[in-house]
Amino acid sequence: MSVIAPKFRLGYFIKALLDNIFWAVVLLTLAGIPAIMILLFYIDLPIIDGQILTPFLAFTWMTHPEMSVPLVKAFMQTDFFRIAAFPGFGFGALLAAGVIFVERKMLAKLQLRVGPFYCGKVEGILQLMSDGIKLLTKEIIIPAKADKPIFWVAPLLFVGTAAAFVSLIPVAPKTVVADIDVGLLAVFAIIGFFPIITVLSSWSANSKYPFIGGIRALHQMISFEIPLILSLLGVVILTGTLNLSEIVESQATYWWIAFLPVGAIVFFIAMLAELERIPFDLPEAESEIVAGWLTEFSGMMYGLVQLGSYLKLYAFAGLFVVLFLGGWQGPMVWPPFPEEIVTEGITMGPVTAQIPGLPLFSQEMLNGTLWFILKTAAVIFFILLPRGVFPRIRIDLLLHVGWYRLIGLSFVNIFIALGLLYAGVLGPEGIL
Amino acid sequence: MVDATFLALSVLTIGSAIAALEMRSLIYGSIALMGALGGVAGFFLLLDSPFVAMFQIAVYVGSIAVLILFTVMLVRRELIFTKVEDPRRRYAGIGLMLVLMVGLGSLVIDSGLKSVTADEPPIDFRLIGEDFLTYYWPALVLMALILAGSVTGALVLARREDVTDEQRAD
Repeated sequence: MSVIAPKFRLGYFIKALLDNIFWAVVLLTLAGIPAIMILLFYIDLPIIDGQILTPFLAFTWMTHPEMSVPLVKAFMQTDFFRIAAFPGFGFGALLAAGVIFVERKMLAKLQLRVGPFYCGKVEGILQLMSDGIKLLTKEIIIPAKADKPIFWVAPLLFVGTAAAFVSLIPVAPKTVVADIDVGLLAVFAIIGFFPIITVLSSWSANSKYPFIGGIRALHQMISFEIPLILSLLGVVILTGTLNLSEIVESQATYWWIAFLPVGAIVFFIAMLAELERIPFDLPEAESEIVAGWLTEFSGMMYGLVQLGSYLKLYAFAGLFVVLFLGGWQGPMVWPPFPEEIVTEGITMGPVTAQIPGLPLFSQEMLNGTLWFILKTAAVIFFILLPRGVFPRIRIDLLLHVGWYRLIGLSFVNIFIALGLLYAGVLGPEGIL
Repeated sequence: MVDATFLALSVLTIGSAIAALEMRSLIYGSIALMGALGGVAGFFLLLDSPFVAMFQIAVYVGSIAVLILFTVMLVRRELIFTKVEDPRRRYAGIGLMLVLMVGLGSLVIDSGLKSVTADEPPIDFRLIGEDFLTYYWPALVLMALILAGSVTGALVLARREDVTDEQRAD
């Protein structure tokens, strides 16, 4: 018998569920459907094949695969789908959720613990879902003297900025939310927002640990932005473009990490610092300042900040893959789509269905996505690994490393790139 | 569409600029300043130069606004500001602003720039680089020297030998 609900009976629970279903049905018939009907008078419905696409027709088409597949295909080309689901937010959030689970499990194995174990019977596979439900149901507590508007908005802004970052990462050929000419510059512009949000949220909490954490985060992010940006200039010099898709296409034969290992290492270290990962997790140092700038967040606000930081992790790993590891490039391992499904249809027992519009995805796209995910997972593994290996370093050592070592090394990287270009190894007359 | 965007951006930029000046809370004032600078970046996007717009966001919103926020948070406001409520100064400021606006507006109208063609392709940033390396090379060299000098100066100022660090164990 749990303490929270001492009079719990399964019968009451089922009765409550049935009650809710009853009232939902009653309200839908009495109010919902008439409201939809009234609304339909005022909406210009699209005309497809000479027919007005009423909701009834839409439902009819949904149950017919030969009608619904083209609709699904058209829907997948819309901006909404791209932003919300596939190369954008949904895809990134799914990977981020996977990363959280893998991190906990892998860290436990590194430290000879078990890790999440009980939720979902098999190795705690449902732990993440239960954590999510827990965070959703928890009360959100705002500090009494907090600056409420900024405090409320900060987690949303954090997730939004991380999602904007995710939207710039090309996953497969022509599969990117925002394919803009100045993609890399847009990445720099978006990275610049994270310190603002961090320091504003930490200030608005009006509490000492968040403020210390926020100031540390500001120092760390601002000073590591410089080597981060400088270390990528080598790639820009060699490719002559700022478009991330074109940068990937330029690596068809060689990955840039083969020519610019120094830049890759500097970028990786600066990335760890921007992500506040161990050994650079001073802003969240749990043994010194409780939870750093996250201390006063509770409930789903904390959940949103966590989601944002793992989205950011995925986006940075994707950026590393795009710039140094050849993005979606890789040998074609995805099996080709069987031709007879297009010509003869799918046979299931006695039924044969001709479905136009297949295949939904091209072979190149699936193969590219597969390679991109594999490489991103490898980079994420190397981002997670230091957490089980290294201790946290001091803030003055961190800033010293950033200002003296990494900036110098990134200039060395720029000179390596220029040397390769002027020696004729790369460039118009070179091997590429 | 362009007109509506332009109007919205103008309202955002001017509104947040006024808010940045008039807000009593310095933190909110600097947030409003960020809005004004971001609005300027929007104008650059509208003028088909995303390169400049991205630099506007990265440098002004991302760095300078952070610097201002940082300064505001570290300084106690009561110690440096004394409130001077003087309506005449406010009216003088508004009058000065109107004079400036009328002057600049008459200049713009006289320049013959009356319409903006929309849907032009964005300006290629490679052309900007080419111009810098050919026609504007003295400016580029001068900028490089100034920037190198300021970076060296900042490092020299930051690395003070005469201050002993008591925290450091060595």
